[in-house]
Amino acid sequence: MSSRWYPIYQRGNPQLRVFLPNFWMKLVRPEEKQPKNVVQFKVPTGMTNYDIQNYLEKIYKIKVIKVESNIENGKLRRAILQKYGPIVKDDDFRRAFVTLPRDQEFEFPEVCVTEEQKKRSSEDEKSSKMSGEMFKNYLKKQADRPGLPGWFSF
Amino acid sequence: MAFRILSKCRMFQNIINTKIPKNLRSDGIHISTVHRDLMEFFDDKKNWAAESIKVGRSWNKDELRIKSNEDLHKLWFVLLKERNMLLTMEHECLAQFELFPNPERIDKVEESMNNLEAVVRERNKAYYDLEVGESAERPGELVTNMLGLNFFYRKFEHLIPKFLNKKWRKKHTFNVVNGNIEKFQKYYREKLHNANRKSKNRDTNHVMHLMKRFPNMDISAVQQQYPSVNIEKIKNYHKTRGHYVP
Repeated sequence: MSSRWYPIYQRGNPQLRVFLPNFWMKLVRPEEKQPKNVVQFKVPTGMTNYDIQNYLEKIYKIKVIKVESNIENGKLRRAILQKYGPIVKDDDFRRAFVTLPRDQEFEFPEVCVTEEQKKRSSEDEKSSKMSGEMFKNYLKKQADRPGLPGWFSF
Repeated sequence: MAFRILSKCRMFQNIINTKIPKNLRSDGIHISTVHRDLMEFFDDKKNWAAESIKVGRSWNKDELRIKSNEDLHKLWFVLLKERNMLLTMEHECLAQFELFPNPERIDKVEESMNNLEAVVRERNKAYYDLEVGESAERPGELVTNMLGLNFFYRKFEHLIPKFLNKKWRKKHTFNVVNGNIEKFQKYYREKLHNANRKSKNRDTNHVMHLMKRFPNMDISAVQQQYPSVNIEKIKNYHKTRGHYVP
């Protein structure tokens, strides 16, 4: 496609402009403890440090001081439950550490924990506990009458 | 009579055109504050850890065709940000062992982006056909490689012309004729032919055994499933007759 097909750049030519960039970027929680103004991203391997900086500055209007990145291998794992099935490889990606200005801080928000979610999970726990107790009672009832179905009683 | 009504209409139209300025005729002013921040990588706070998030459908090609180039460009960045947001949320949910609500949102955004790109491509093609007189698509041709197999070679720009570019010529040797390629092609075709023949034989044998086990089978359905098998021919074969009195 001609809109995705750029002429090669030669010195002195006008600067190439990217229309409709289709790079993706994931903001991820850092595995290791980082300074407060460092953010970790996962980006496609084709992206350069300049690309990352321009992407954040032009599209998200974030001031970037420094970008450091390296390509990492995708994990090798079993396809089913990490245990069964064929061995598959996840896609390679580039891990980028972006430094914001000194006075800015970013803390990764707790996206998966809210009051509603806590309430929901506690209710689920309660119901599972109840069904467990019911099963225990059933076993107790059946202890002295083996072979009889549970519904059979006078 | 008709003329009179028409003229009235025209008068009415004139009144509309003159009295009401365009910028006042707005159906609901929509103002949203734009937060340009790293929090754009995350969903709305009300959607955090929600069980299900209700969203609409993706953008059609027909809807995108009536938009201006500028609008399409703006929409592309909206979709790009949406996709980044969804990917970030999915990754975080996966890391926290939680279910990501409505994962089809990613597919919807992806589909919209594909449609948008297709529409831009259409416009580009139309522009090139009208103004330049060349195809807007990337040039290429069907060539034969070192093994004698055909493939579509997508051309690209080079700084050095072809006849001076030794490295390129070494790397790209198309449509070569020497004995080795013909020899390889002969064996390769034989291999393909054998694979084809074997699969045909396998099907025929399978159908014969089916006919042996199920004498009252629907033959037309079998013919449809195995079109390469000549059923008329194998009908009287010994293998198709089962251990029963015909």
